[in-house]
Amino acid sequence: MSREKTTEFYDVAVIGGGAAGLTAAIYSARARLKTILFEKALVGGLATYTNEVENYPGFPNKPKGEDITNLMKAQAKNMGVDFKLTDVKSVELHGEEKTIETFRTTYKAKVVILAMGGRPRITKAENEEKYLFDKGISFCATCDAASNTGKTVVVIGSGDAAIEEGMFLTKFADKVIVSVLHHEGKMDCNEIAKEAALRNPKMAFVWNSTVKRFEGEDHLDTVVLKDLRTDEEIPVKCDSCFEFIGYIPNTEIVKEQIKLTRAGYIITNEKMETNIEGVFSCGDIRDKWLKQIATAVGDGAIAGYASEKYIAESETFHDVILQKEKPGLTFIYNAVDAESREFLIEIEKIENHFEGRLVVNRVDIYKSSGIADRLNVTEFPAVILTVEGKVKERIIGQLDSQKINDMLDAICVECHNK
Amino acid sequence: MKEVMLDCLGEACPIPIVKSQNKMKELAVGDLLIVQIDHSCAMKNVPDWARGEGYNVEVEEVGDGEWEVIIEKTK
Repeated sequence: MSREKTTEFYDVAVIGGGAAGLTAAIYSARARLKTILFEKALVGGLATYTNEVENYPGFPNKPKGEDITNLMKAQAKNMGVDFKLTDVKSVELHGEEKTIETFRTTYKAKVVILAMGGRPRITKAENEEKYLFDKGISFCATCDAASNTGKTVVVIGSGDAAIEEGMFLTKFADKVIVSVLHHEGKMDCNEIAKEAALRNPKMAFVWNSTVKRFEGEDHLDTVVLKDLRTDEEIPVKCDSCFEFIGYIPNTEIVKEQIKLTRAGYIITNEKMETNIEGVFSCGDIRDKWLKQIATAVGDGAIAGYASEKYIAESETFHDVILQKEKPGLTFIYNAVDAESREFLIEIEKIENHFEGRLVVNRVDIYKSSGIADRLNVTEFPAVILTVEGKVKERIIGQLDSQKINDMLDAICVECHNK
Repeated sequence: MKEVMLDCLGEACPIPIVKSQNKMKELAVGDLLIVQIDHSCAMKNVPDWARGEGYNVEVEEVGDGEWEVIIEKTK
């Protein structure tokens, strides 16, 4: 396209429009931050592939996943979130201003929230695409077990997820037939799960097998397995097939910049912070224990709230700590440390001594270490002296008020002479 | 470089994607195909298919539950 790329500015850019991203955007926009959400296709994420959601609190009538996420979308729009339905080509996450490139526009944002989710790994067997999600092939026992009450289901895989979910399915289904890649008795799951599965009377195993083909009129009715030793086809009649052969997080555009687990999930702390300042992550894309709409919403709320705190702290840092009008003194202390607290009196004396020629800030790291991190201060108490918004002196550990006074005298004389 | 509108309003999967694939064959590199859809199922497969082909894709939500998928034929 010949059109020139334009640039737009936002406080918060959310990448991914599933339950996690939508919730993060709702929280961020409600905190009056200018927020944009990028979604490459249909807003709503993986939840839109579920026909009945029975376990999202507040919705007792088993709505479609899409109905729930459409309400979230309407709520985000009411809050003033801008939606951009396009895929993000690349991102630059380091530095205070983050860059997001789409094919026609460049976006700049103070905070980026990564909520791109993931997709289940599929077998790539014949006809698989015809039955994905609501046509008989499922990836979530928690979601679809109840609709298989009294039925026969096939499970593909033998890892922890496959066997544990398979056992969960036996509480509903009459028969759970597990296709295992390995020789009889060998599974990829932990030993406890394996023993329990082998003892479970509702579970049966087809060893040395893989999926060849899926069959059925409108809905899946047969999974054709293949014996890996003989190439013989083994048709298995069933009502649903559950594939648990792994999950692929959509981290392609950030994997060079963000710390990931070996499986490729984004590592965050409980505040949804990633290894990069101002970059948060929430939902299925991050390393977490349970992937549900309910947990995605929880993650999103934290990420949206944390973004607001981060931006407020940035503003404080630039406008207060690094103010340019007068020489500045920032005392960084920990309120639970007695020595730190005692020095507050000395700081007050210094402040009085310079009567209005000095801006004094007191930062208690007990609540948040954000400001200290930005000043690269890791030991406390510490005194940072600034001139014209730049750090001039750093006094860390043993604080001596006379020495600080002398330094400030020198700074003030210098400023006066300018 | 021309813009071609493809009306798939009221049509459920897989009709929008099949019509898009057929129409795309008639277009030249640099042309834009604008697919109008109002079934959310097509929002899951039309943009995905087009991106898989390596085309540039952008979606506009023109109304509540009504979209235009803008596909630039890049090769």
